[in-house]
Amino acid sequence: MTVFRSIRRRTNSWSILSILFTLLILSPALSIFVQIFEKPNENWAHIQEFLLKNYIQNTLTIVLFTGIFSILIGVSLAWLVTAYTFPLRRFFKWGLILPLAIPPYIGGYTYHGIVNYTGIVQSTLRNEFGIHANPVFFDILNIPGAIFVFTIFLYPYVYIITRAYLEQQSASLIENARLLGSGPLELFFRVIIPISRTAIIGGASLVILEVLNDYGVVSYFGIQVFTTAIFQAWFGMGDVGTAIKLAGILMSLVFLILFFEKALRGRKQYSYSNAKVRPLEPVSLSRKKTTVLFAYVTVIFMLGFAIPFVQLFQWMLLTYEKVMSPEFTQLIANSVYVSMVSAFIIMAVALVIGNFTRLSDGILSKAISRVTVLGYSIPGAVIAIGVLTFFLWLDRRLNVLYEWLNIDAPIILSLSLIMLIFAYVSRFLAIGFNPVDAGFDKIGRSFTEASRLLGKPLWRTFIQVDLPMIRSAVLGGYTLVFIEVMKELPLTLLLQPFNFYTLSTKAFQYANDEAVHEAALASILIIFISGLSIFMFHAVLEKEKR
Amino acid sequence: MVMQLHDVTFTYRNAKEQTIRRVSMALEKGEIVTILGQSGSGKSTVLRLIAGLEVPEQGEMVIEERTIFDAKTFIQPEKRGVGMVFQDYALFPHMTVAGNIKFGLKKMKRTERDERLASVIELVGLTGFEKRYPHELSGGQQQRVALARAMAPNPSILLFDEPFSNLDADLQVKIRDELRTILKKTGITSIFVTHDQADARAIADRVIVMEKGSIIKTGTPALILS
Repeated sequence: MTVFRSIRRRTNSWSILSILFTLLILSPALSIFVQIFEKPNENWAHIQEFLLKNYIQNTLTIVLFTGIFSILIGVSLAWLVTAYTFPLRRFFKWGLILPLAIPPYIGGYTYHGIVNYTGIVQSTLRNEFGIHANPVFFDILNIPGAIFVFTIFLYPYVYIITRAYLEQQSASLIENARLLGSGPLELFFRVIIPISRTAIIGGASLVILEVLNDYGVVSYFGIQVFTTAIFQAWFGMGDVGTAIKLAGILMSLVFLILFFEKALRGRKQYSYSNAKVRPLEPVSLSRKKTTVLFAYVTVIFMLGFAIPFVQLFQWMLLTYEKVMSPEFTQLIANSVYVSMVSAFIIMAVALVIGNFTRLSDGILSKAISRVTVLGYSIPGAVIAIGVLTFFLWLDRRLNVLYEWLNIDAPIILSLSLIMLIFAYVSRFLAIGFNPVDAGFDKIGRSFTEASRLLGKPLWRTFIQVDLPMIRSAVLGGYTLVFIEVMKELPLTLLLQPFNFYTLSTKAFQYANDEAVHEAALASILIIFISGLSIFMFHAVLEKEKR
Repeated sequence: MVMQLHDVTFTYRNAKEQTIRRVSMALEKGEIVTILGQSGSGKSTVLRLIAGLEVPEQGEMVIEERTIFDAKTFIQPEKRGVGMVFQDYALFPHMTVAGNIKFGLKKMKRTERDERLASVIELVGLTGFEKRYPHELSGGQQQRVALARAMAPNPSILLFDEPFSNLDADLQVKIRDELRTILKKTGITSIFVTHDQADARAIADRVIVMEKGSIIKTGTPALILS
């Protein structure tokens, strides 16, 4: 009786909408779980017998080594930049984040273009020095090549989080270790790494989730992993059932990683202490050591950003006139349109859910805010399969309606842009939700309570008080989502309606059709937009700190 | 009676013990009551329950002969006709002083609204500050705006949650005395929550002492605080 009453009292349009949105967001994942145990067909039997082991092996190899190398590079850079002075330190502090602006698939085909037979490296060796190098030496279309690409473009996740963490550490901690006789190496391994454990694990798991989400690099490099297998099952064999089984395994892998991340982090959360600690002042090293340090930082920056960017820029200059056509303008318009609409819907959903979860303390609201951010960890290909099966089911249910409306088509929703936008919402809701949640957290509840006691119901309070107060968080979230949708590849490739291309899918298509130079303009645009996202993100972060 | 609470009980989610245990009280028209207690005694929670910001487990609450809570009823905060001055004032930072005060004045003609604004702003001595934003005011002035905003819609009862805790000691004494004068002049029934006996002595007609979620004493300040 009391439970019933309590439910009735808490039921309002916010809670109903939040539950509805959450169920919709969950529906792709649920539809995978429902169908994963359906009776397998011969395709699945074949994959299970001959290929599955290979998928697992390749996936795990890439994940493991990318993880290790990203940690080595990311943590070492974070420590060196924080602890020592060297030329251009301020520039590198931010510059080392820039590789993140190059999506790995773009980096992947750029590097292949640089080192293949007609690329700048081999042709220079041939033409300038008369060296005919063994092409095998320059072949990067293999697992080590993919690991290199993922590492060099994704290590900034580890670098950013670890550096932010180290910057907040008190100088006295490090100074104490030095006074107790620790040399630089001992200090790094016995103090820095253990204290930054949570940050390192946090950054590395972001890297791993990105690797598992990737389709562009592995497909271009011809490596068999889960995402490529999902694409093959779907497009090659037209077998959604098998694609679902593969997606199910990949999703379980993601959950396993999230579980490990939590377990490894232990009870420690990232400790952003508010107390004003004396920050660590960088010290100078001997000339020889400074030179080595400078060389290391420069090499990483060159490999992760400067080289691929300059190469793409040169290609863009070569092909600009050919590529720039009304179709290309249409491509930009398509990308901007889906990104704007998706970002708008995501922010609206994020605001409804954010407002509901902050105003109610129950288990339900906690669960809803967890689910909201889950989509971002699930690879795009998995979400795509889930969304497709959900929409096919929906179309079948709506068939009666189509007939009644005299529409002569069995499926409408699953061929439309609505499905793609729905999938974006499901995958990127977390990116819009986090700033909204932080914004609400910052203003607290008393303004809302004051407004309600002055006679305004929840909706009016939201429009007149809450929304104006978290305006900048909403704008920040909108921009971040907009950019993420612009860059997205696997989900868009799988769900784009017929004859609908975005900048990223077109760039990828060019590259796949051996027209890497033509892919440059779209790639440069994407890099520019991603760079903007990184800048925005840090501008928001800096503002939050203040 | 303006307000009656009968056997109100409440437990915060995840709390092991009841926060409020069978609290009953009644307020006469125009009375100023202070609820005195240590932190964690449940005194602020009583205000939140009266305002409708928390939902009691059981009990009954009546304001001006209208049941606002019982086994079958729960009136939403915006419909209770209760005003509240928050500890941190909660002035809307994106609105001017006038905007804040007029915020709760719905269903009034524009001229009526302006008149009401002028009268409450005069009452709290802030005439001329209408166009300022909250961050352009001192702590004491912000406090007065919060009071004017809560009084403007003419609530049946006005609640104050530790209203002086953010003020300097000197200002605290001054505002306390002014506040009593204003409240007595307008005849609004009020409940103050404080942990400071001096506040209670200076402002209250009657003092209620709470401990561990229950009322343990009630009476005039002279009787309770001697």
